[in-house]
Amino acid sequence: MDFYIGLLQIFGIHTLLGLSAYLLILTGQVSMAQAGFFAIGAYMAGICTAMWGWHIVPALALGGLLSGVLALLIGFPALRVKGMMLVIATLAFSEVVRLFFFNFNYTVLRDGIPIGPIGAEGFRRIRYFPENGWTTIEVSLFMGLIVLLVGGALWWADRSRLGAVVRAVGEDELAAQSVGINLTTIKVAAMTLGGVIAGIGGGLYAHMTTHVEHLNFGILLATFAIAYPILGGMGSVFGTLAAVVFVQGFLVEGLRFLGDWRNLLFGLLIMLAMNVRIKQLGDVRLRNLLRGLFGLRRRSHAGA
Amino acid sequence: MNRKTWIAVMAVASMLALGLADAATAAERIIKIAGFGAKSGVVRSFGVNAEAVLRAATDDINNSGGVRLGDGSIGKFQVDFFDTRCNAEEGISIVRRLASADYLIAVGPTCSNVAEPVFGILQAKVGDSSDTGLQFPIFTDGAIKGGLAKISEWSFRNVPSEDAMYKALFVWLAEKHPDAKTVFGGVEEDFAHSRFTWYSVMKERSVQAKFEVVGEAKWLLNDTNFTTQVREMKKANADIVSISSHPFTTCGVLKEMARQRVKPRVALVGLTSSSSMETLNGCAAQAEGIIIPTSFAPTNAKAQRVAELTAKYGGSADLHSTAAWENVEIIRDVIVAEKVMAKPETVQQDRRRMRDGLAKLKSTAGLMGTIARTEDREAVKPFVYATAKEGAWVVLYDPAKASALRTTGETPALAFLPQR
Repeated sequence: MDFYIGLLQIFGIHTLLGLSAYLLILTGQVSMAQAGFFAIGAYMAGICTAMWGWHIVPALALGGLLSGVLALLIGFPALRVKGMMLVIATLAFSEVVRLFFFNFNYTVLRDGIPIGPIGAEGFRRIRYFPENGWTTIEVSLFMGLIVLLVGGALWWADRSRLGAVVRAVGEDELAAQSVGINLTTIKVAAMTLGGVIAGIGGGLYAHMTTHVEHLNFGILLATFAIAYPILGGMGSVFGTLAAVVFVQGFLVEGLRFLGDWRNLLFGLLIMLAMNVRIKQLGDVRLRNLLRGLFGLRRRSHAGA
Repeated sequence: MNRKTWIAVMAVASMLALGLADAATAAERIIKIAGFGAKSGVVRSFGVNAEAVLRAATDDINNSGGVRLGDGSIGKFQVDFFDTRCNAEEGISIVRRLASADYLIAVGPTCSNVAEPVFGILQAKVGDSSDTGLQFPIFTDGAIKGGLAKISEWSFRNVPSEDAMYKALFVWLAEKHPDAKTVFGGVEEDFAHSRFTWYSVMKERSVQAKFEVVGEAKWLLNDTNFTTQVREMKKANADIVSISSHPFTTCGVLKEMARQRVKPRVALVGLTSSSSMETLNGCAAQAEGIIIPTSFAPTNAKAQRVAELTAKYGGSADLHSTAAWENVEIIRDVIVAEKVMAKPETVQQDRRRMRDGLAKLKSTAGLMGTIARTEDREAVKPFVYATAKEGAWVVLYDPAKASALRTTGETPALAFLPQR
């Protein structure tokens, strides 16, 4: 049981990562910077709890805030480029962050043991949860609450006028601008909020794994961040959640019994999923697909 | 016989049959142990080899009668091996799965970057009720980065002490080549093990052996071009070149050294992990003469048998993989000594017995001789210096044998033994 509850933690963290990219993709921006924001949140929150003895909540808040501030700062120059250029620019940012932590040394002595980031060797003993008596289920509930708050806020915003404005920017910038929408504000706000969400996700990741190192935050993580919302369709936040469950739950964990074949199938199933991707869970194409699979006829045909 | 008597006889017979079946089940139980390591990606060979040795060792014990459990019944090993893909999250997920199931102990992982987080989720101090970390023993065979077992009292390692190996190697080189004065280092900068071994072990130990480090070249795990680094190496013209990197980039560097005709005057020293078949498969000609300390070489009948069995199970016996054989034998001995029951209702007690039993050990039997166990749950293993010769690893020097010969007044000779 502990395993399945622990798996929920992985779902939660990856959902936050995916949601941070989802927000940006809604505004028409494809960002590879999420890995960098995730890394900043991971190291900052780890430093706060493991080195400074902070509580997890302010630690996550500071990690998210720092990531958000950096996202705000890179948001403005990033506005000058779009499409592939933005992908390259944000990827470069993630690499800068990764290489910063690759060279970052800062330790303090705790019980005679040096604790803190030691360059390429990473940052170990981020053990806030076990040291403070949090059980696996409590950690999962805590992470679930954060995912619920973030996902709920995005879901609500998506259905409000704000969501329509954001989607308008993503669909057609010129048309959005012509009706008085401030593109700069929307895009930079999305980048900043995306940074905050990724930073919080990174903070949770550091506390789940207890050890982080620069290699955790490479191009693969950045690719997964944008793959989740794209794979899940851009219809709603639930698509991202579904994609995370599909990738982490089914492809990574569910197919583990296949051994070496898992990696081969991994790529093939991603390709397949991309081709039949759905806009949202209640999408008409999904309903039609399920009807086709189970041999059910459409109601309209039945009545004909 | 009337109907009632017939029913009574059948009932008694059925009960007896059930009882005998129960007794048979009780007499032979399953001891579930798990292996986990990378079976995908660039370090795939580590997991493949570790699994082969693990299966060979457990089958060998099962075929020779199994293990005597605490209540006198016989236990047979059952092994399941899990692929971590050298990924921290997957390693954590696997260990959570194992701890949730009825596995007695896990052997692994092969990657240090997985060992660190996996040890981190275990309870740090045994019996500390305020620490909710997992109470599950892990006995590592592969992850070699220094000092990892300190992280948790549930973590144990049977990996060689690189510090002891390179300390002895550089002292030996200094004695053998008194005219050698300089060392040039090459390091795979972004790989935790390689980096740790160069900066904290090789470099420090070469300086202590009175060598002067005249330069360092750095590269990354995914690099494929080493022109600049080898040019620096050539310029330094050191007596010894010490390369701390894994087979993939080691071969790249060695090929570039051959292209630029760079050859250290006295010795080329490699990282422990490169004393594997991957290096020879990738660049046997260029690796000719490289010296690497290793805790495994088929220098005796048992080690030769292990190498042969490993090959039959589709793996290669090297310093990383053969530790799994020793681990299984140690696990078997601890099961007997601590009277492990291997019953579904005693899983947690059995795990604690295994942990306590492993913690008590001061020394264990290894394939190359006696292995000392330290207070911080690490091993100090016997080792030899291997060198690449005509596409095979051969033993260049055995410090233990040489030491024994010195005490008897004989001259230590260089022993060349073929390694499979």
